[in-house]
Amino acid sequence: MRRGLKAVRFRLGLTSAIFLMMFLAVGLRAFQLQILQGEKLMRLGERQHLQEWIILPRRGSMLDRSGEPLAISLEAQSVYVRPQRLKKPEVVAPRLARALDMSLSQVRRSLNRKKPFVWLKRQVTPREAKGVRALRLSGVGMYYEPKRYYPQGRLAGQVIGFVGSDSQGLEGVERYYDTYFRGESGSSVIERDGLGRMVMAQGVGELDIPPGANIHMTLDITIQHLVEKQLETAIIKSRAKAGVALMVEPFTGEVLALANYPFFNPNRFARLPSHRWRNRAVTDSYEPGSTFKAILAAAALEEGIVGKEDIFYCEYGRYAFGGKVIHDTKRHGWLPFSKIIEYSSNIGAVKVAEKMKKEKYFQYIQKFGFGQTTGIDLPGEANGLVRRPSRWSRMDLAAHAFGQGIGVTPIQLVMAYAAIANGGILMRPYVVQRVVGPRGEVLLTNQPRIVRRVISEKTARVLTSILKKVVREGGTGVKAGVEGFQVAGKTGTAQKADLIYGGYAPEKKVVSFIGFVPADDPRLVLLVLLDEPQDKAYGGLAAAPVFRKIARGTLRHLRAMPENPEPPPGIAAGDLIRVKPKNGKRLKRAEGVSGVPDFLGLSMREAITKARDMKLQVEIQGNGYVVRQSPTPGSNWGKRGTLALTLQG
Amino acid sequence: MGYDSAQEARVRGKRQKRGMQNIFVMIILGLCFISMALLQVWLRLQAVHLGYVLSTTTKLQKQLKQENRELRLELATLTSPELLERMARLRLGLRVPEKGQVVVVP
Repeated sequence: MRRGLKAVRFRLGLTSAIFLMMFLAVGLRAFQLQILQGEKLMRLGERQHLQEWIILPRRGSMLDRSGEPLAISLEAQSVYVRPQRLKKPEVVAPRLARALDMSLSQVRRSLNRKKPFVWLKRQVTPREAKGVRALRLSGVGMYYEPKRYYPQGRLAGQVIGFVGSDSQGLEGVERYYDTYFRGESGSSVIERDGLGRMVMAQGVGELDIPPGANIHMTLDITIQHLVEKQLETAIIKSRAKAGVALMVEPFTGEVLALANYPFFNPNRFARLPSHRWRNRAVTDSYEPGSTFKAILAAAALEEGIVGKEDIFYCEYGRYAFGGKVIHDTKRHGWLPFSKIIEYSSNIGAVKVAEKMKKEKYFQYIQKFGFGQTTGIDLPGEANGLVRRPSRWSRMDLAAHAFGQGIGVTPIQLVMAYAAIANGGILMRPYVVQRVVGPRGEVLLTNQPRIVRRVISEKTARVLTSILKKVVREGGTGVKAGVEGFQVAGKTGTAQKADLIYGGYAPEKKVVSFIGFVPADDPRLVLLVLLDEPQDKAYGGLAAAPVFRKIARGTLRHLRAMPENPEPPPGIAAGDLIRVKPKNGKRLKRAEGVSGVPDFLGLSMREAITKARDMKLQVEIQGNGYVVRQSPTPGSNWGKRGTLALTLQG
Repeated sequence: MGYDSAQEARVRGKRQKRGMQNIFVMIILGLCFISMALLQVWLRLQAVHLGYVLSTTTKLQKQLKQENRELRLELATLTSPELLERMARLRLGLRVPEKGQVVVVP
């Protein structure tokens, strides 16, 4: 009995010892795997089932002032090749070339490179990506990366700019606001199973990377389209080399439209030469010609050197000055100062400049912002070319008086005219209204910024009244007139420097018209500039009609109320017209109408409608609004029986 | 003698009872351990399953966002003023209103 018990105990002890040793062995092995080789093995394991997922930054969108997209980023696929892993490159190359629409030599060159990773084609189309995927080649892969699209095509191309293949802004607003546009990049560790599928058990929060900010521009695509269309038509018609049209809101400095011809489509920037990318309204200066006379006039009026009606002798179109002869296109004798601007007399302008010291004139040129950047939020802005008065010869003062021998950028000139339009204050121009972050937070707002007061309100008013005459009958800019609105502006026909022989090239001209409308409560300042037109090479003939068409369309778009409503079709302004009642019977007055009704203050259209409704016979003279009526309101109808209305603008 | 054997039997019974209690506790502990292990495995499987669901949903969300952006791009392209004007002129025969045909109502 005792022996049996001993045997049992021995077996139990042995079994326990065996188990203990086995546990010990397992424990030791675990120690070896977890502690001694733990880190190394963990790394090996992670390499097999964990993968780093890199999230590329997504660029924010660009929108116009009404929220229409101008630039959007989408994910596109780029095709890469690992040449060392590729089997039979000679067989594969033609198939890849066909799928990617590339030349065979180009593909072969990429496949034969001695690098571990080579881009074959970046940002391919969805069709090309599908073609490559269908080939199922080892060593050829796809990589998602963002691609920038410009849905409006060539519209405002030079303002918008473009980005490089790594989504970095290279030109225009894309470049200037690159830091805002760029989103953050990030990465997360993702688990993969044996089949390579993602198992997202961790790092989900890290994937929520916010994109870059959205940028709201001041441009209006409807106005921009109108401007580009009219500019292109005029350039083709006049066979000009290039052109610029620039529209600004004068009280704020917001750029409403900016067009450079030849246009440029940012979707295909690489196919066009770099000079086509340039925003010449900001980067290039030119000699403004007679449009600069407004600056001279502003300086002379502000300093009290001349009065509006002071008269100057204009030498009948030929004036020997500083060893040269200055000409006018039309011959004039004595002209009041206002007419010098109206007829754009160079000789008159020179005589005004002579009365003013060159230091004083230079001071105003500087005050109006010439010779320095305007601070517009676009890259590459030029200063223009304004020399110090100590380096001016006598002839330079004369040339500067009519806008030659001085270099200004279109944006500088537009802002100077905006200062005249808004009552004398120089504003900073801008193309971006605000920058809005991905969660709707406003990161930047461009408020209208006053640079300085340049001239007094009184001088601005007087100058505006002079510039209005330029667009009236007899002025050089009559073709810029917009029906129903008063326009103030100035034509310019400048000679271009001859870069080969020196001096000025006789056949090369820059013609322009710059103005604001409505003159007394301006909604826009617009410059139209044509470079080297072959036909009708005068500002008043080639550029002024473009101004009229753009201004008319823009004012309609802005729903601006006409100052002088148009007469109904078929009635010329100033005609004496007789309005008969609709039923054809001539009635002195409608039944039930005691006394003469009040027509004062009504527009022509309203007066005609009212007269027809009341079956009254009226005679209308003039244009605009009723300022006088006979018989007077409330009085008795006299013998005449007709109502005479006098209208004024 | 009779008293001793009876006492011994009582003590043995007590011991056996205690032994049974210990075995019972061990079984309960073992079951708890196994349950915990199974729960751990189940939770792990659930995490993996949810991981799959999450990755599929994330992929779908990404795809839908991309689709949304593509549609916005297409809309912007199709409503660009240039294209609209061309369509209005060529397809609908519209033209820009003449002088006097537009009256701005205050």
